[in-house]
Amino acid sequence: MKRINPLKALGAVRENRPVSSGLLRLDLELEGSCSAEAGFAPGQFAMVNLPGSQAFVFGRPLSILDWQGRRVSFLYRVVGRGTAELARLDQGSLVDVLGPLGGAFPRLADDQAAVLIGGGVGLPPVAAWLARHGRPGDRGYFGGRDGADVPWSQLEGAWQVSVDRHESIPAGREAFHGLVTDMVASDPELADAGRRVVLTCGPIPMLRAAARLAQQRGWDCYVSLEEHMGCGYGVCKGCVIPVLDEKVPTGEGFRNATCCEEGPVFRAEQVLWERYGALPTL
Amino acid sequence: MSLPAWWTTDVCAPFTLGPRRFPGRIWTASGCFAYGLSGHDMRTDGFATPYEGIGAVVTKTVTPAPRSGNPMPRLCELPTGAINSIGLENVGYEAFLAEVLPQLEDRGVPTVVSLAATRPEEFGTMCAALQEAAAGYRHWHGVEINLSCPNVAEGGHDFGRDPDTVALCVDAARSQLPDRALLAKLTPNVTDIAGLAAAAGEAGADAVSAINTVVGLDVDLNTGQPVLPRRYGGYSGPGVLPIALAKVDEIVRKTGVPVVGVGGIGSLEDALKFFALGAVAVQVGTAQMRDPFAAAQVAAELSRR
Repeated sequence: MKRINPLKALGAVRENRPVSSGLLRLDLELEGSCSAEAGFAPGQFAMVNLPGSQAFVFGRPLSILDWQGRRVSFLYRVVGRGTAELARLDQGSLVDVLGPLGGAFPRLADDQAAVLIGGGVGLPPVAAWLARHGRPGDRGYFGGRDGADVPWSQLEGAWQVSVDRHESIPAGREAFHGLVTDMVASDPELADAGRRVVLTCGPIPMLRAAARLAQQRGWDCYVSLEEHMGCGYGVCKGCVIPVLDEKVPTGEGFRNATCCEEGPVFRAEQVLWERYGALPTL
Repeated sequence: MSLPAWWTTDVCAPFTLGPRRFPGRIWTASGCFAYGLSGHDMRTDGFATPYEGIGAVVTKTVTPAPRSGNPMPRLCELPTGAINSIGLENVGYEAFLAEVLPQLEDRGVPTVVSLAATRPEEFGTMCAALQEAAAGYRHWHGVEINLSCPNVAEGGHDFGRDPDTVALCVDAARSQLPDRALLAKLTPNVTDIAGLAAAAGEAGADAVSAINTVVGLDVDLNTGQPVLPRRYGGYSGPGVLPIALAKVDEIVRKTGVPVVGVGGIGSLEDALKFFALGAVAVQVGTAQMRDPFAAAQVAAELSRR
């Protein structure tokens, strides 16, 4: 894949609205000449910050739902101070954007089909992949907390939905009650011996379950990981993921890979799951 | 803002530090721009590259052996800065010399290599290897020895707190660096930073960089425990600016050692405060992590004046 040079630009808020009880969609119009021909590959993210003197010490990493030229869209959830400030931005407000950053989900061979699994705010990269690269055999699975948490308007096409709590399901919609990975495991459409590749993003337990399922079925699996980030472009080493590496010179059998630059997409079998997201708070 | 009345230095011209001519006075700080290669292809309106106008990239600190760094979480953001506990993750100086420094030279990036060690003589070993590997390099300007990384258990701190040890480290490096600038980066977590600067200067450092990060801690109220696994980290960002200014002032007033100011610089105004106190150059640190063009922006504004 040809790398798209990341850019730094101001973006004006076109729309910033909830698309479910927990998720918001932010649509921006980028300014400046360098953003005229910008774009992204599904799986990439951007650092979004308030401009000038209002800026947080670090931007907030948001995965890209779509980016074509000056128009870029994100889905995000309010999880702290930074995203709470983003949620308050009105139409016309300016934000700083640095992106697209990181690597992307792979494109698949002609004889492969995608199993896309998105959990909550992990939806954008897999939804972007389906919109950009999807073919008739690809299938999308989204897991939400309940019917109100599901961004139904963003799930057009080949999506099946699961919910942890079977409530607030809108009339005319259907949802599996249980874990999204259980929905995938029980889907009879996936029971044949076809070559499939799991592309997934969401909470860590979901990613682990997806990786296990893929391993059981003999499918390749790519996970898009989430970490608190400092810089977003590989310089601060603040967002590392332990990945298996026999050749690592420290002799520890693993090394710390930056989530922002080497990731956020990793092959599931690369990730040292017992050390990722499971570190004790000392 | 017009040029301040006190400002007499020709800031756009190259300046001399020890045996080298540096192309500018706005540098990036160690640990905040990696090895200076990540982000090289970033673009924004008004700048050809993030290196435009920069006097030097001070690399992420390199150590005798590769280090995998500290466990996560490594960063803790505060309204006024950040506390980090990266743990000097780096590829080791042999890989750095073989794989990284040649790329910086090829790209024409003015470079100062940051080194850390656990024994003073290792600074000499690494400098000798640098001198051998990069003798003909035009863009490698010098070495900054990191005497003060507060989050390495082996005691970066102890190095930086004792004037005699500082002198040993500087002397070991100086003896192997005949024609490159040598800087010693000092910790602010001491009672007498001027005494350390004087020791570095007497041992042959061309300048000191002040300050490294301030020891800090934050508490996670959900657990009642420190946020960082090693409890303490290095506090940096806008909140340390007045601390850095005070330490730079102390060094300038009490010693004749040239000072490269670092700590909380995110704007031209911040940089000018260090120059007003007598700093010969400044480094942009935490701001460079948010914005790959932060140092280039300060340099551009300075050159417009």
